[in-house]
Amino acid sequence: MEIPLSQSLEQVNRALPRWCRERADRGILITDTSLRIVMWNRWLEVRTKRTEAEVSGRLLFEIFPELTERGFDQHYSEAIAGQAQVISQPLHNYLFAVPVEMKELSFQEMPQSARIWPLVDDEQVVGTVTLIEDVTERIASERELRKQIEVQRSARAVAEGALKAKDEFLATLSHEIRTPLNAVMGWTRILREREIDPEMLSRALEVIDRNATAQAKMIDDLLDMARIVTGKVRLDMQPVDLVAVALAAIDVTSPSATAKRITIRQTLDPRVAGVLGDPQRLQQVIWNLLSNSIKFTEPGGSIDIRLQQIGQCVRVTITDSGRGIRKEFLPFVFERFRQGDSSSTRRDGGLGLGLALVRELIELHGGSVRAESPGENQGSTFVIELPTTVAGEVRQHDIDVDGLSGGTSSLDGVHVLVVEDETDAREMVVTALTGWGARVTPAASCREALAAIVDASPSNRPDVVLSDIGMPREDGYDLIRQVRALAPERGGRIPAIAVTGYANLNDRDRVLAAGYQAYVAKPANPSNLAAEVAKIARGQATFEGRAHVGTSPRSEPVTAITPSE
Amino acid sequence: MDLTALQKDALGELINIGFGRAGASLSKLTGHRVELDVPQVTMCPLDELGDRLRPVVHDEVATVHQVFSGAVSGDALLVLDQQSAAILNELLTNEPALPLAIDGSAREVLTEIGNVLLNACLGTFGNLLRVQVSFSVPQLSLDHLEAVLESLMVEGEGLRYALVVHARFRLRNGALTGYLVIVLGIASIDRLIRAVERWEAEQHHE
Repeated sequence: MEIPLSQSLEQVNRALPRWCRERADRGILITDTSLRIVMWNRWLEVRTKRTEAEVSGRLLFEIFPELTERGFDQHYSEAIAGQAQVISQPLHNYLFAVPVEMKELSFQEMPQSARIWPLVDDEQVVGTVTLIEDVTERIASERELRKQIEVQRSARAVAEGALKAKDEFLATLSHEIRTPLNAVMGWTRILREREIDPEMLSRALEVIDRNATAQAKMIDDLLDMARIVTGKVRLDMQPVDLVAVALAAIDVTSPSATAKRITIRQTLDPRVAGVLGDPQRLQQVIWNLLSNSIKFTEPGGSIDIRLQQIGQCVRVTITDSGRGIRKEFLPFVFERFRQGDSSSTRRDGGLGLGLALVRELIELHGGSVRAESPGENQGSTFVIELPTTVAGEVRQHDIDVDGLSGGTSSLDGVHVLVVEDETDAREMVVTALTGWGARVTPAASCREALAAIVDASPSNRPDVVLSDIGMPREDGYDLIRQVRALAPERGGRIPAIAVTGYANLNDRDRVLAAGYQAYVAKPANPSNLAAEVAKIARGQATFEGRAHVGTSPRSEPVTAITPSE
Repeated sequence: MDLTALQKDALGELINIGFGRAGASLSKLTGHRVELDVPQVTMCPLDELGDRLRPVVHDEVATVHQVFSGAVSGDALLVLDQQSAAILNELLTNEPALPLAIDGSAREVLTEIGNVLLNACLGTFGNLLRVQVSFSVPQLSLDHLEAVLESLMVEGEGLRYALVVHARFRLRNGALTGYLVIVLGIASIDRLIRAVERWEAEQHHE
């Protein structure tokens, strides 16, 4: 049965105000032209804790005087004049104060977006309608989006900054390397082309010597930095007396300080505990810091170096009365290639590597370094802290080669499978191990190596696998994965040593995680290789074992400390 | 039909009064000094509106559209190119802008700004004509300029004119220009111009 339209309309007209009051998902406020409240829906009741019965018939601004204080009287009078009003959240935050719990949004009041309409009947404004929406979720998601964009933007800025620093560094490098060369070449030409007196000769030689030394130092710094970046720095760790190291560094720098009439005052507490470190490198660190201070301190200034024990640390503090560091530059002081003034008109030479080396070396020692400065022309302070360690703690990992030196029979009866794709390197290892008494099976590839394990009779199976990591087609990781996949009785548990050219911490972990029991860094010292093989063969390194050794081409066994970079 | 120099000056001056108030209320709202002025007012038949706008705004535009009705009726729009829209939002809210299509807050701010400007302008006209004009709540759309022009063309009947008001914002070391377009029928335009002339004459009389 069809209901007549008039009846439907009547039903709708009756239902609509009730729907607005009870069901609408936003605030609905209706007033007459004198701004007396006519409708205050449930949404508003719940959120403002004011019931419709309480506010109905009363003047809006009487109940909510803060609306006037916040300028909304203007909006309402314009609405009554016929102009619809937009109350945007970003410009007003909210219309009616509703406390919220969402602390992470840092809002005290629920963020709202509102519209105020003139209520028009027959071209006559008879009141206002205010619609209020809760926009908390929208604001939250926009903030999140903004945050993500900001993170990306700053990551990009950092990358671009680093790139720029590198470009500037290249420009500086060319200039800095050229400068001493000009002096050397110029004077050499003079010496060759002119008759010169002994006095001039000695002056020429002095200039040439000084410039060549400066250039050599620059190249040393560059090489050091390159070694650090590629993870090839080896620290010769031993108990170090920092007082002696500091005195040596002061000794080296004092001529340049004297030349600038700069006083170096020292307060070195002799009672500080020893630290474990590479004395040459630590001296280089202090030397770099002192040189840096001398460079940026005006003639007649002073530098203080202090050494003290602070808890479990030894602290070295170097304070100068020099040029200081701009606040904006402080965070970048220790970054590679960064210089406070990288303009072409800067006053000072240098590559901007000295402080970067300081940080890298100190961090390799497990210490920290920081710079402080009250501002330009107010001096700088550099603070190094190094942990004091019980002497010998690190050396426990050293390999006792002497234990092997008793005779060539030390690897007697040990069957070693040597996997190495490069013929020369393979032969060197084979010769070395054979010399220690081992029986060696050489393999030039992963495939040959697997065959040597799988095809061998149990009595003829290798006792130890010594494998190169970097090999074409299948590398040392592929090999160990396949070996470990074998059943124990087929050789799946043969202990294995990796020989790797990439000796940083990540690679070491990766090697051990892949299934090797130990690793030896390239270039491998034959006696270290033998020692490691002996240890593994004797069962000192088990599957859980974590023995590893780094070797240095020139020195005796040392503990490798490599940066994780 | 075109505006005489005198009529243009008078209209500009009138709208400037409304904009002065709008600028003041925006300043109060944002805590920054917001200056609004009208460097130029022009008028053209609606079908020539594209030729006026294309040189100054192109491609994607943000448009705040408001319909007004009463003794005079028509369409009022604030047209900003999207870059200016984003900059305006940033200057007003001090928040980095997201692309407008996904930034509901920025769209709301622009809607409010459009509302304030259009109300100031239309309110001035209403007062001048001594008629009550009622305005709808504005709608913001992001669209191509051509699509906006097209929608204006199909909307009404008869000969219509567009009043183009250049609105220059100056705030916090930034400046940008938006374009208010008021579309009126010939009769409404006629009434408006006569009222403007009358106002102008009164000014000189005083």
